[in-house]
Amino acid sequence: MLRVKEGDLDKLGLLFERYKRPLFGFFYGMTKDAELCEDLVQNVFFRILKYRYLFRGEGDFKTWMFHIARNVNHDHFRKNKWKLKESLENWEERLGTDENRATEFQQDEEMQLLSMAMERLPEDKREILMLSKFQDKKYKEIGEIIGCSEGAVKVKVFRALQELKEVYRELEKHL
Amino acid sequence: MEKEKIRELINRYNSQLATTAEIKQIETLLEAGSIDLDELKDIHALEGQVASMEFPSPTGNLDDRFYQMLALERKVKSSFSWRGFFSWPELAPKLALASVTLLIGVGIGYLMKPSAPANADPGVNQQIAELKEMVMLSLLEKESAAERLKAVSLTEQMSAASTKVTGALLETLNHDENVNVRLAAIEALKPYVRDNHVREELVRSIARQDSPLVQVALAEMMAALHVKSSVKELEKIVQSDQTPADVKTRIKQSIDILI
Repeated sequence: MLRVKEGDLDKLGLLFERYKRPLFGFFYGMTKDAELCEDLVQNVFFRILKYRYLFRGEGDFKTWMFHIARNVNHDHFRKNKWKLKESLENWEERLGTDENRATEFQQDEEMQLLSMAMERLPEDKREILMLSKFQDKKYKEIGEIIGCSEGAVKVKVFRALQELKEVYRELEKHL
Repeated sequence: MEKEKIRELINRYNSQLATTAEIKQIETLLEAGSIDLDELKDIHALEGQVASMEFPSPTGNLDDRFYQMLALERKVKSSFSWRGFFSWPELAPKLALASVTLLIGVGIGYLMKPSAPANADPGVNQQIAELKEMVMLSLLEKESAAERLKAVSLTEQMSAASTKVTGALLETLNHDENVNVRLAAIEALKPYVRDNHVREELVRSIARQDSPLVQVALAEMMAALHVKSSVKELEKIVQSDQTPADVKTRIKQSIDILI
C-alpha cells in the first residue's frame, strides 16, 4: 500500500486481487445482496485510491481496509434507511421459503440455518461476527477497526454468538 | 477470581447451566483476558461454523469496474487537473513554496529599492538597516556562490555596517571557497579599513590566502590604503616557493609603495 501511496497505482491491482473476495464476503454477510456487494467493494477501493495519502503504514493494510469497508457499509445504510425497511421485509419473505435458500447457494441444512440466523441478528452483531471471520479472529485488529479494546471486542463477539445461538435454536424449532 | 472458581464457571456455562449473573461474570472475565472464547464450547463451535460459512464470489463485473477506475485514475494522475491542483494534499506544498518565494521576493525588492530619503523616520531607517543586515547574514550562509555574492554586495548599501557584518565579511574572506566571493568581500571591507580591528584582520588574512588573485588584491589594497603593518605578511608570500612569479612581482610592487 505504501507503494500505491507513493504513486505506483499498479500495486493497487495486487491488493484488489488479494482482498476482493474477503471484502465481498464481509459485505455479503452484512447485506446478502451480491450486486450491492460489488458496488460496496468498488466503493471501498475507490476510497482507498482517493485517500491513499492518509495511509500511514503504521498498521496492517487489511485493518485499514476493513475500517474503510465499515464506513462504506454504514454510509450506504444511512443513505438508504428508507429502503432498508422494505428490503428487510423482503428478506423476511425470502427467509420463509427454505427452498429458495437451498437452491441459492446449495449449502447444507445446518449452514443454511446459520445463514438465516445471521440475517436475523442486529447489524452491529452481524458486523462483529463478519469482522471476526474475515480478520481471522484477530481481536486486537478488530478493536482498531471499531475503536475499542481487545477485551471489549471479545465481549462483543461473545454476545453476538450468544444471540446467534439463541436465534439458531429458535429457527431449529420451526423446521 | 480463583482459577478453581473460573473453571467451575466455564463448566457450568458449557453444561448450559450458567445463570444470567454468571454469564455477566464470564463477560467480565473475557474482557479482562482471564478466560478465552475458545474455552466456551458452544461459542467456540459456533464461531468456527461462522468462519467456515461460504459466500458467493464476486463476478467479473467487479474486476472490469475496478480496472476501469484504476485506468482512469492513472490517466488523471498523468494529466493536469484544476481539481487535483486545488486538492489540499497537493495544494499545501505549492502554497508553502509560493509563500516563501513571495516573501523572499518582497524582501529582496525592498532591499534593492533606492535608499530611504534623509528625512525618513530614523526608527524606520534603523529597522531597514537591521533587515538588510539579517538578509545579508542569511544569504552568506547559502550554498550558491551567486547568493553569497549578492550578500556581500548588500553591504555597499549599508551606511554603517555593524561589527557583526564586518565580522561576517572577514569570515567570508578567510573561509569562503569561492575566489570571486572572497574578492567581493575585500571590496566590501574597504570602507572599514579605518577600524583597527578590521585592518589587523585583513593583514592576518594575507597569510591565509591560497589564491594568487586574492593575495594580489589584498596587497594592492594594503598599498592603496598605506597599511604599513602588512609588509611582513606580504614579504612572507614573496618568499614562499609556492607563489607564482607574476604574483611575486605584483606583491613586490605593493611592498615598494608601502616602504
